[in-house]
Amino acid sequence: MQLTTENFVVEEGLDQHYEVLKELGDCHASLGNHDRARHCYEEAALLAPEKSGPAVGLGVVAIQTGRLDVAERAFRCAIEIEPDCAEAHGGLAMVYQHHRDYPRAFDTYLACLDKDVDNLVALLGLFQTSCQMGSFAKVIHYLNVYLDRHPGDVSVLFCLATLYARDGRYREATEALQTILALEPDNAEAAGLLDDVRRKQAETGAEVRKA
Amino acid sequence: MSGDAETTTGPLVSVLVPTFNRRRYLKEALAGLIGQTYGRFEAIVVNDGGEPVADVVERFADPRLALIERRETRGKAASLNEALEHASGKYVAYLDDDLYYPQHLARLVGAMEGDPDCGAAYTDLYKVHCRILPGGARQVRGKVVNDSRDFDRFFLCYCGHALHVSLMHRRDLLERTGPYNERLSILIDWDMVRRLAFYTDFKHIREVTGEFTAPAGEPDRIWHAGRLDRQAFLADMLMIRTTRPPKPWPRMPDLSIVALPERIDELAAEMIRQIYAVTFMPFEVYLPAAPSDLARLKIDMPNLVTVPATRGASLQARLDAALAHLGGDYVAVVPQGVPLTILWVEDALHAALHDPTGRTAFTLCGHEAARPAFVLDAAQLRRAREGCGDLPLAESFRAAGIEVRDPRPREWALGFDRVLQGAESLEEDGNWVQAAALYKQIPPRFGNERWMRERAAAALYGAGGRDEEAIEIVRDLNRDRATVSTLLLEARIRRRGDRLREAVGLLERARLILKR
Repeated sequence: MQLTTENFVVEEGLDQHYEVLKELGDCHASLGNHDRARHCYEEAALLAPEKSGPAVGLGVVAIQTGRLDVAERAFRCAIEIEPDCAEAHGGLAMVYQHHRDYPRAFDTYLACLDKDVDNLVALLGLFQTSCQMGSFAKVIHYLNVYLDRHPGDVSVLFCLATLYARDGRYREATEALQTILALEPDNAEAAGLLDDVRRKQAETGAEVRKA
Repeated sequence: MSGDAETTTGPLVSVLVPTFNRRRYLKEALAGLIGQTYGRFEAIVVNDGGEPVADVVERFADPRLALIERRETRGKAASLNEALEHASGKYVAYLDDDLYYPQHLARLVGAMEGDPDCGAAYTDLYKVHCRILPGGARQVRGKVVNDSRDFDRFFLCYCGHALHVSLMHRRDLLERTGPYNERLSILIDWDMVRRLAFYTDFKHIREVTGEFTAPAGEPDRIWHAGRLDRQAFLADMLMIRTTRPPKPWPRMPDLSIVALPERIDELAAEMIRQIYAVTFMPFEVYLPAAPSDLARLKIDMPNLVTVPATRGASLQARLDAALAHLGGDYVAVVPQGVPLTILWVEDALHAALHDPTGRTAFTLCGHEAARPAFVLDAAQLRRAREGCGDLPLAESFRAAGIEVRDPRPREWALGFDRVLQGAESLEEDGNWVQAAALYKQIPPRFGNERWMRERAAAALYGAGGRDEEAIEIVRDLNRDRATVSTLLLEARIRRRGDRLREAVGLLERARLILKR
């Protein structure tokens, strides 16, 4: 072991005040105390203008209160501060989704997932927009990437099964739904979808035989 | 106890307040002092030739405040020495541009008076990280207790840990330590704290009783300015580490290092210089050699004692020649080839200090039977050599019943820091649960209980899925003594458990401390 004086000079706490305010803002935002959350984020931004977190928080509060123009400005500001901020890209995609600009929302969710493959909000947003647009190939890829890292995530498995079913890939849909039911035997939605898939599979099989 | 200036009970505390171009902060510091619940103090403010502060001091109209206005700037050490000339208290405390909470003096006086053997005590302080805004106001970025270490004499000699501004000590100890060293440009405080440790243990009061600031962007601060000149910094370090206040040293071991190079040449000089570069416990170096060889040796170090010996004499004969001159309690025998890196001798010294038999020679790295390298109680070494001086060293040890062995890991110096670094490495590798277990094991052997419990809670939080255990620890810490860090940690755990209202309550408490 090599001990040096520098080993003991650890500068902790340089961002502590910021962290307290950001954390407090996040809690207030989750509790629906929008004004308090906004106040905390604004104070946090003054303490750490180089961080994108407060701008993201302000954007989230703006979405919660239906002020989409404010939210868009906040998320753009966050991206300017930190171009790789996944949350900011995800937030911006949400704004586009609210505006029913699905192609733009879809691309922006993808940008978010490129920066953070674990971003569940973006993944579900991508799923919703892809359902609106009827294009499933890319989202299936991202759902599988996510499931490789989080194999037991039932909500994402269900999304994947839904997309497979819509895309006519019944065997893969069946596998995903069976995985869900192994994890959660009482999952009624999965059981219902599995019945649908089996019925469609049987119908398709009958049509193929008839032809 | 009362903050009333008329309070007449309790010992008098002399609070020394050196200041230089800090009018704004001096006002806040003095306000904190006036607000103490313990009122029996005298404050001696010394303006070290900076902008006038008479109006700042007079505004308080408090007879306990005295001001020495000096026109010329002579440095912090000179200011402290001048203040000491006017001090008459039983105890001495220190205040720069820092903040005492109201209980600061009361806690320290209470601890000192409750233990007559205690010559010094210190509390914990928040280190306030701040940014200087245009106009001079300080924007607080964080308040961290990053020095809450139980007293450890070896660590204190290594790099210091009792903060000067949190310290109170008996004034009469200064008669033994001597005054502040005015030749030092930095580490002035550590030098005095180190010298005090020769004469007394320090009592650690694990309570946050104030704040000191660590502003970014104040280049005139001694610490930052002093470090810009690396050579001057190392010269000051050497001066501090080679300072030997008057004996007797009731609390500090004195180590005599007997250097036994194969010949007196440049390699020998390098060996001596390296001993000075890495040894941090108090020492003297003894160099036995032929007088003509010694004259050739171009080396000028403090505490280097040259001992005449016959040219070509054996290692054993040179050691015996040195033995008659040694003044230390412990002897380190160091032939050429011993790796001189940090802790090279302190592990063996620490083991020897705690050896219940007193009859163990603890080997140094590089020890061989033909070239022994060890630390041993000086009296035992003398006894072994005087009783059977003609025998080879190993045989004389056997005859004297002295065991020769390596120091065991649990006998090493800075044991706490080594285990701590082990736990931190586990955390870095993502082994959170193992790290937490190690943090929990530290206090029974090494103290620092509160600090280690906080670390254990943070590691368990990092592990994920161990929040119940983490919350149990951190909740107790917050009940006992909440800090910004522990409140933030508990809030994060509560939030992860969707207990948002509780998290908000904790974060609001943290925010209040940050705004204080």
